[in-house]
Amino acid sequence: MNWPSISAIASVAYKEFLHIYRDRRVLLLLLILPPVFTLIFGHAFESGERTDVPALLINQDPTPRTQRFVDLALANKTFKWREQPSTGKSETDLLGQGVRASLVIGPGWSKSLRSKDPLPLRLNLDGSDTSTAEQLQGSLQKTLGDFQMKEQQYMIDELPEEVFEFAKKLPVEVRDQFVSAMTPWSIDHKVLYNPQERFIDYVLPGVIGIILQLITVTLMACTIARERESGTLYQLMVTSLQRGEIVIGKILPYLAISVFLILVVLLLASWHFRVKFYQPPALALTCFLFLLCSLGLGLLISAISRTQTQAIQFSVFFLLPVFILSGAFAPLEQLPKAIQYISELFPLTHFCRAFRLVSLYRAPLPYLALDLLALLFGALITFLGAAFLLRRIEQ
Amino acid sequence: MKRLQTDHTNHAQAGISTREGGVILLDRLSKSYGELQAVQNLSLAIKRGEIFGFLGANGAGKTTTMRMLCGLLRPTGGRATIAGADVWTRRQEVRSKFGYVAQRFSLYRDLTVEENIRFFGGASRVPRAKLPERLTRLLALTDLEAKRHAPAGSLSGGMRQLLALACALVHEPPLLFLDEPTSGLDPVHRQQMWNLLYDLSHGGITIFVTTHYMDEAERCTEVGFIESGRLMAKASPRALKASFSAKLLEIDVEPVMPALVRLREDPDILGVSLRSGSLRLYIAEPEKLMARWREKWPFPDLRLLGQRWVEPDMEDVFTAYSQGYDAVLKNSRP
Repeated sequence: MNWPSISAIASVAYKEFLHIYRDRRVLLLLLILPPVFTLIFGHAFESGERTDVPALLINQDPTPRTQRFVDLALANKTFKWREQPSTGKSETDLLGQGVRASLVIGPGWSKSLRSKDPLPLRLNLDGSDTSTAEQLQGSLQKTLGDFQMKEQQYMIDELPEEVFEFAKKLPVEVRDQFVSAMTPWSIDHKVLYNPQERFIDYVLPGVIGIILQLITVTLMACTIARERESGTLYQLMVTSLQRGEIVIGKILPYLAISVFLILVVLLLASWHFRVKFYQPPALALTCFLFLLCSLGLGLLISAISRTQTQAIQFSVFFLLPVFILSGAFAPLEQLPKAIQYISELFPLTHFCRAFRLVSLYRAPLPYLALDLLALLFGALITFLGAAFLLRRIEQ
Repeated sequence: MKRLQTDHTNHAQAGISTREGGVILLDRLSKSYGELQAVQNLSLAIKRGEIFGFLGANGAGKTTTMRMLCGLLRPTGGRATIAGADVWTRRQEVRSKFGYVAQRFSLYRDLTVEENIRFFGGASRVPRAKLPERLTRLLALTDLEAKRHAPAGSLSGGMRQLLALACALVHEPPLLFLDEPTSGLDPVHRQQMWNLLYDLSHGGITIFVTTHYMDEAERCTEVGFIESGRLMAKASPRALKASFSAKLLEIDVEPVMPALVRLREDPDILGVSLRSGSLRLYIAEPEKLMARWREKWPFPDLRLLGQRWVEPDMEDVFTAYSQGYDAVLKNSRP
């Protein structure tokens, strides 16, 4: 076995580049789609909080105190209330009313707040998608808490003078205890790593990773399959080219294009979404290893499939679970433990984790070493696998 | 050195030797796919400068043999060498010694004529400095200068084959494999292709070509017949035609089609073929049959208009070998 020759690799790479260059439609797609996808996905996931959820407010207790609560509720940005004075059967017909929630303030509610049995508010929630209901309830609960604090003040103001006279006779500790009991206890919290809690900062690696994975795997998967289909693979094999030279030569143009695309997407993210990037060398290494791994994967699929159609089908079957299970858009920890182990097999999982460790946590290299090693290992395995499978052609 | 010695012993057993000048040597070369024997114990020697025509029906094992010689298929038995190097174990080295024109058009359609030749030049390790001169010469040889910047996919069938030939010759190999290079070509391009092959042969290149056109077999210096994976004969076209032991009888009968069907059923007649309106009969002892027919013509509804003796051509040879008409051949096995 001779050493791979640079000029032989260059011949293959140039030929492969010509294929891409000549296929104008794919070339155009290649150059336009990634930035467009980044823009769309970036804006799509811009804010994680839901706002202006349509909701129905049925107030059957027209008193000033209830009105104070209603004013607070109307100020809540989560909901877009439509007020309706009296009830009908419509209270639970959320679909018919075109709302996601309905709140009923029953008659005598404000009065009951002064008794020892305060009435609850009635809230009907649309639980069809599993996250909205919880969010809405939490938001309303918070408004109700605010209302209660304000009302406490009113109640204290309205207390008879004797109470205060009596209170003055109490020991200081008891008085303090009482004040504390009337004050909501608070958390002085500080958000680290993504202090503005911008979702785009979190989701960007997912967006980049998915776009690049899609492009590299499908394009690469087609290269060898296309040669097999058109019969040129035999012609290629009877030249003095070694398998390694073919593999490396085929990878190079796609690697160059992918690197270019990553740069475009990162520039777009920093310019349009004002995403800040730290530690460029570590980030570059992460991206590079991820690309190698994806290209290797495409090559492996290519070596397995007999036709381009098969190559595309294999790619889709592979990419679908990756998109859902790789933690690109949602934290991996939400998934069951067993599924998390499967996720660890995908290059995108390691890429997203390493990327976030660099860009959000600004973690030093040792923190991402494991993920980078996994990517490197994946690249090696897929390349060797592809070179080995190409052997099968000569039989 | 040791390997070379074993080469000699093996080939000596097979009755062939590199000393005879064989550039390609096949020694009981076999390929089987499970039960199916695609190629069986193929032994032959092809000498330097020969145009060897490999004849056989579709599925006879021609392409399988050629792919084994190109190191694309692993032989399941026996071996083959090109200039002394085993075509499988030393395939990387052997590949620099030959050019290969596949049966299907297998160049890059989206690349231009020039780009295709340049790519295969680079892939075959032609030094960059030598490429421009080779390119000019090959374009002139194949008459593709005018199409230099045309995509290969836009070329006609004939030009595609010429381009494939140019790509196979870019590293100036001493040996050329062509798998049915003229199938599907019009007569003009076939002629052009063959003239090119003659020029190459004259220039000292050994040519191994498969075909199922009989007239093309006549153009080869040596012809091998393969049938069901076995070599039936290997000789020059002249010698092959001389291997007919019996004379060939051609008769004119009317009406001709019913005659063809009736004569085919005659147990004394091995086979009948229609040639330019006459019937050519393959018979073990034609004189005896003819004498019998002169006494009494057994087909009252057919009219015998005339008869003559003809020289066998390659098609007759091929028919006799492939149909197993051993009785009309001098030595049934080479």
